[in-house]
Amino acid sequence: MPERLANKLKERRTELGLTQAELAERVGVTRKTVNTVENGVFTPSATLAIKLAGALDLSVEQLFWIER
Amino acid sequence: MSDFTWGLLAGLAAVLVVAGIVKWRRRDMPMTVSEKAEYLSRRRARMLPALAVIFLSQQASFFSQMSEGGHVSAEKAKISAWLVLSALLLLGLATKGFWFEKKEVRDLIDDENTRANRNEAMRWGFLFAMGTAIAVYILTMFDTVTGREAVHMVMSFGIAAAILRWGFLERRAHKDA
Repeated sequence: MPERLANKLKERRTELGLTQAELAERVGVTRKTVNTVENGVFTPSATLAIKLAGALDLSVEQLFWIER
Repeated sequence: MSDFTWGLLAGLAAVLVVAGIVKWRRRDMPMTVSEKAEYLSRRRARMLPALAVIFLSQQASFFSQMSEGGHVSAEKAKISAWLVLSALLLLGLATKGFWFEKKEVRDLIDDENTRANRNEAMRWGFLFAMGTAIAVYILTMFDTVTGREAVHMVMSFGIAAAILRWGFLERRAHKDA
């Protein structure tokens, strides 16, 4: 069974009332990158994962987990 | 001036005209750095497949001349123009692109996902170039292929594959869930 990096980026972002563009601006990437991470198309680097978690007031483990 | 030089100049002139038109079209569009990066990134995603088609269509005239043997003056100019486009596409693949934009815009456009897509596209380009090189090598066992023709084929298929792959990845990345 392949492993996949799941996340609750969209859920948390919506909870905080942020758009993809606003979150992207906070972490210094384009909206496209946030979109691909949310969709599970792109696996972010540790640096970006930490930045995203920080911007969404969560720990990296709360925001990302491995799905088997 | 030789036909090749005319072709090089024509290719460079075309690039400058396109860059000028793009700049002029955006003259009244006040945008923040992120908005501009988003706008340019989307436009690049739309442009890449079109560029690949233009690039591949240039090959048709080259390969049609190949069977006739030798190149007439106009064809020499076209080859030079092709060389300019090839070099530009390679530069676009290897660097952040958007060379006339501010550094912060260029840095933002070339974010993590773009770099990953670009690397994947380069990988495809390399594999296609090597595949074409093998095909050309086999072809030389049955037919005569000049050095220029071989380089032309390897470069064309390698660059076109990379550009098409990059375009596909960028378009997919922009697509909302």
